Amino acid sequence: MIRNALNLILPLALFAGLIWFWEWSVVHWEVPAFILPPPSAILAVFQSDGASLYGSAATTLATTLAAFALAVISGTALATLFAASRLAEAMLSPYAVILQVTPVIAIAPLIMVWVGLDNAWLAVLILAWIVAFFPVLASATAGLKAVDPNLRDLFRLYDATFWETFRRLLVPSALPYLLAGIKTAGGLALAGAVIAEFAAASGNTNGLAWRILEAGNRLQIAKMFAALVLLALIGVILYAILSVIEWLLLHRWHGTQRP
Amino acid sequence: MSTALELERLAKTFPNGTVALAELSAEIEAGDFVSLLGPSGCGKSTVLRLIAGLERPTQGQVRWPGPVKLGFVFQEPTLMAWATATENVALPLELAGVARNEAGDRARRALEPMGLANFANALPRELSGGMRMRVSIARALVAEPAVLLMDEPFAALDEFTRSQLNDDLLRLWGERRFTTLFVTHSVFEAVYLSRRILILGARPARLVADITNPTPYPRDSLYRTSTEFNALVRRILAILQDVMT
Repeated sequence: MIRNALNLILPLALFAGLIWFWEWSVVHWEVPAFILPPPSAILAVFQSDGASLYGSAATTLATTLAAFALAVISGTALATLFAASRLAEAMLSPYAVILQVTPVIAIAPLIMVWVGLDNAWLAVLILAWIVAFFPVLASATAGLKAVDPNLRDLFRLYDATFWETFRRLLVPSALPYLLAGIKTAGGLALAGAVIAEFAAASGNTNGLAWRILEAGNRLQIAKMFAALVLLALIGVILYAILSVIEWLLLHRWHGTQRP
Repeated sequence: MSTALELERLAKTFPNGTVALAELSAEIEAGDFVSLLGPSGCGKSTVLRLIAGLERPTQGQVRWPGPVKLGFVFQEPTLMAWATATENVALPLELAGVARNEAGDRARRALEPMGLANFANALPRELSGGMRMRVSIARALVAEPAVLLMDEPFAALDEFTRSQLNDDLLRLWGERRFTTLFVTHSVFEAVYLSRRILILGARPARLVADITNPTPYPRDSLYRTSTEFNALVRRILAILQDVMT
């Protein structure tokens, strides 16, 4: 009981202490605000520039969620195709790898040209999807291959159809892998969205990355920090939600989720 | 006695050139308890997999009198970790098209004689190794197969659990008389359980001896220490010694 309370209180106390030290040191050593603004100034930005920051956060969040959903659906679907046909895997997986190993920032200008500057949001979505897609594909493929070969034989022995085997054996076996990949994909979708917004470097995209560029050009460092805080917040919340989903689905039977 | 199945000049060579089984012919009587005994890696498991249709023979065939239901018990319990004992046992029924509720009822009834009535809703990780193997046996028997194939099912269990499961298996077999093909590398287990023991020699597997154990059933722990038991064990050990050298 006391231990649990300490586990909660001490990290919070450390956080508060760090913030206090930051505030105190900026004032004490007279650090200029265009190098490091104090926490109070960052908090003030949320009031003065709240509307534009929250609007941009909503844009980035929407891109992230859309790219994430696309990545989960397409990654799982392609992994299923790979599980059903070795030929399909041999034919298609090299392209998935090429797409993965080519830095997204290098593909960005090409995608921008293809979809046109007017559709910068679409370019951002595609780029974020490319980044988030691969961990889902890789983890789902690994998961579908990690099926106990004896259980597979058992399903064969009882003349199970592919669909029955898929639903009752492959999906549950792959689930722990898939969920780990999905958790990674959540963070990468956000990272991908921000990178793509930077690459697009256009007011059209209007996401948090654009706010950071804009504020940086104007030396509004406090606003940059505020945008960073929002990005971190989105990332943490996304991760927390995905962790809870993972726990709900796996904790009863899977080893990784036991206390 | 009618024939349950017949192995006809059965041979298996794997694509990499390994000869797993040279040539095996045997007729298995319906309702018999037959052990396939031999050193590790002698291809005993391959015989079972050929019978189950999980591998194709490179030569010969397995002949059946008609369509036959099979049960298979692997060396590991091979349970679905995400499913309860009942759900695991119900699987063969559900894959055969039995309605979910009925399959569940029959699965629960199949768990009772294994002493697992109170663990119907337990997940595999909540069960001991011996209990998991019991669930596996209940699953193999739930659809009332005519032939039960067991691939060293008790090899990973401790001595005490193993002899308990031996007795459980003999009791079920005594009640239902499914034809049993039991792969093992334990001479003691083979002698205790079987009415007939096929001894396979190693690499490639071939039939070395076909031995009948005349001791009537039911057999119990007294039999384990009897003179007949020891005499037969000694005889088989001598044959195996010959094979190995």
